[in-house]
Amino acid sequence: MAVIHPKAASVAVAALVIGLAGPALAQSKEVVMQDPGGGYGDALRKVMYAPFEKETGIKVVTVQEARSGPRIKTQVEAGKTEWDLTFIFDQETKLLGDCCLADIDYGKMSPQAQKTLAAMPENLKRRKGVALQVIGVGLVYNKDVYKSKKPASWADFWDVKSFPGKRCVPAWPRFVMEAALMADGVAKDKLYPLDMDRALKKIAEIKPHVSKWWTTSAQPPQLLLDGEADMCMAYTGSTSKLALEGAPIEVEWNQGFVYYDFFSIPKGAPNMENAHKLLSWRLEPKRAAELTSNFPVALPSPVVFQAADPAVSKYWANNPANVSRAIEWSPDYWGAQAPDGRKTNEELGQEKLNALLAK
Amino acid sequence: MGPALLLAPALVFLAVAYLLPLIDLARISAAGAPWWAHFERVFSVPLYWESLLRTMGVALTVAALCAAFGYPTALLIHRTRGVTRVMIATAIILPYFIAVLIRTYAWMVLLGRNGPINKSAIWLGFYEQPMALLFNRGAVLLGMTAVLLPLMVLSIYSSLSRLDQSLVRAALASGAGPLAVFWRVLLPLTAPGVGAGFLLVFVSALGFFITPTLLGGPADQMFAMHITQQAESITGEGFLQALAVVLLVITLVVVGVAGKLMGFEFIWGGGRLAEVAPAPARARARTQSGVAAAGADLLGWPALRVLGRLPGGWGAWTVRLMAGFVIGVLILPILVVIVISFSSASYLTFPPPGWSLRWYEKFFSDPDWMAAFRNSLVIAAMSACIAVALGASAAVGIVRGELRYKSALMLLLVSPMIVPPVVLGLSLYGLFLKLGLVGTHVGLAAAHAIGGVPIVVVIVAAALQGVDRRLEQSAAVHGAAPFTVFRTVTLPAIAPGLAAAVFFAFLHSFDELVLSLFLSSPRLRTLPLRLWADVNYQLNPVLAVVSALEVAMVIVGVALARPIFGRSRAAH
Repeated sequence: MAVIHPKAASVAVAALVIGLAGPALAQSKEVVMQDPGGGYGDALRKVMYAPFEKETGIKVVTVQEARSGPRIKTQVEAGKTEWDLTFIFDQETKLLGDCCLADIDYGKMSPQAQKTLAAMPENLKRRKGVALQVIGVGLVYNKDVYKSKKPASWADFWDVKSFPGKRCVPAWPRFVMEAALMADGVAKDKLYPLDMDRALKKIAEIKPHVSKWWTTSAQPPQLLLDGEADMCMAYTGSTSKLALEGAPIEVEWNQGFVYYDFFSIPKGAPNMENAHKLLSWRLEPKRAAELTSNFPVALPSPVVFQAADPAVSKYWANNPANVSRAIEWSPDYWGAQAPDGRKTNEELGQEKLNALLAK
Repeated sequence: MGPALLLAPALVFLAVAYLLPLIDLARISAAGAPWWAHFERVFSVPLYWESLLRTMGVALTVAALCAAFGYPTALLIHRTRGVTRVMIATAIILPYFIAVLIRTYAWMVLLGRNGPINKSAIWLGFYEQPMALLFNRGAVLLGMTAVLLPLMVLSIYSSLSRLDQSLVRAALASGAGPLAVFWRVLLPLTAPGVGAGFLLVFVSALGFFITPTLLGGPADQMFAMHITQQAESITGEGFLQALAVVLLVITLVVVGVAGKLMGFEFIWGGGRLAEVAPAPARARARTQSGVAAAGADLLGWPALRVLGRLPGGWGAWTVRLMAGFVIGVLILPILVVIVISFSSASYLTFPPPGWSLRWYEKFFSDPDWMAAFRNSLVIAAMSACIAVALGASAAVGIVRGELRYKSALMLLLVSPMIVPPVVLGLSLYGLFLKLGLVGTHVGLAAAHAIGGVPIVVVIVAAALQGVDRRLEQSAAVHGAAPFTVFRTVTLPAIAPGLAAAVFFAFLHSFDELVLSLFLSSPRLRTLPLRLWADVNYQLNPVLAVVSALEVAMVIVGVALARPIFGRSRAAH
């Protein structure tokens, strides 16, 4: 870290000479938090971090990064952890647990945060991570384009005759392969283990109609608003935010996917204490509800759900009405070793999907 | 031996910060069991080797396009005089110094759904709905060609300007038509320039990352993009390095073969060094032009007979049209971006619905943008200091030192120019983590200086070669100590060259994105990193503001450095 490293002296000298560097921060007075950026990042700053900084005097340094797992691994293995609090995939709490993640000390959570935790299912509060956001991925479409007949399943998404128009789809195997199989007639409880080749065949069918294979959560709403796409597989968070603001966008939960982002503290995090403080802060029900009212990504605890405005929580991925229509997505399948034993199913799927897209 | 010692600091720096990490990279790539396991995956999974073939195909196409359009442009600069020439030359050189990221962003604006091309085509009635001009192979080829064209034009122009004009006149006087003169005289004599340009473009294109990422679709995955993608994977360790090693080896093989054929001087643009050992390069040059002449005979005459039937003046117009097109392609995106920066709209649309300075206000009042801007200034200043201190002394050492293997040393000094930045960034990440340099000003400045040193060496060496040695010798004869000679005779003579070196080393660091992507940390965001995040997230007009400011900075810098630049090029 710049601030504690001996090299910092030379940095400081150089900065003084040029006279442009900002003030250096004392180490114990900050916490480095991974950030999703975009509208969600703005909401986090406003609802969570600004009051946290004011009350504790601890500065929240945010890092915009879509995916942190690989970086955590490199940092921890080199013995130079830079981040204090990160969000990772379900499967990564297991894949990275032993090598790279610190145990969360639940005893350090505030009484309010304990309430949230108490109401959460056991599986979501693990030694190596706590599920702090419920993420939904669903079928999102432009209401003005599909007025009379509304798409309601992945079969409809694939049916370009009945629902003409451009599509946008994430450039990852997860969710896309499951959706392709459902569109191909596989029942939602018979998906795993995935028949990747069958899925790829189905994906090849929709490929000519896909205007953009997106990679960041900010892209699908932009594509829908710009008319670059009429129907997308997209995160429900950022798209339902637009729907709430009155954009002609509808989120269809049928056969959607619900999963959890786990908050974890990497081993050797430079501000371990502060990481626990921020985690506790984010778990407190009132604040968590306020955050999700600003941006519809929910915390998976009934306590938070009850504290929220129903007009907003109808878009939450953990709303029972939505959950009942979604499928049970399997992070364990994607995190498992692929048949060749050298990579995970996710990496194998990514390789195969990339090869298809490159054609 | 004296001056030769001056090479030591730069060589030590490059050995530690550049060669060592690359060796470590190779070590990690071969750590699989068996050692070739990772390489086997590169060549057995179609995704990767197909991408390798695609990358080479794209690089070849781009190099060919650059040659085809670059030649007429260089000819036009060569033939025009006075103000016109200065303006055309500026139109080519200016974009060369503007960051690749910014020029690519300008193409995104130009080709966008509501961009000027779609808008004008609809207005002219070519089609009704905006076309998808972005995210395809055509956009990638266009963008990469536009980015790399100046390199080609400068390379061809420098060989045109060294041409003996009396040869052209002699050919004309002997009754050759303009086409024959072009084919039999101009083209063979400038072939080395074209060859050098072609190779430089090809090698740069092989490692391209920014432009294809932003302008291409999923079918345009270049090899360098797989490397950054694998960096996102948990089990990529080893395989990731193998990908980088493959890209590096291919680059080095291409450069090696080219260097054998035409001398490694093509990398630094001419300037042959006076060696102690005799260089057998002359003979090689002769056989080269012999081959070229034979080629011209075989292919040229039939083509010429056909072309010769075209009316006179047609050739001149072809040159003007193609060169005009090139200038348009280089300048238009920059102009559009400057116009957009004054837009009142909150999204990208052309022409702007109204005018305002709100985006400039936003840029200068946003603490994040300002912090990134300050970081970039500090890092670039530090990096320029490192690069100039090391590079300038190395240049003195290599030009004035009495050494063997001068070419080999020069090759080592300038070699960071040809290593794909993705490979360099990846190799440095491991070292920087161990040394605690990730996300520090010093670390980034040093990393950027790896590319800055060659720039400084080339410019200062050229300036030094222009200094009359007899002046130094006479000062020494009259009793001046070596350092006094340097301070009172050499330094004033190369001062303009040094100033240019400082400027370009600064600019190199200020614009650097790819190394910073690997080596920065949350607390240290540079301007290009912030731009990169925003380009990927949303195309707002603040990016246009940054671009416009960069253009202004480059114009001022180039204007200040112009006399110097002219002189150091003339010294070649």
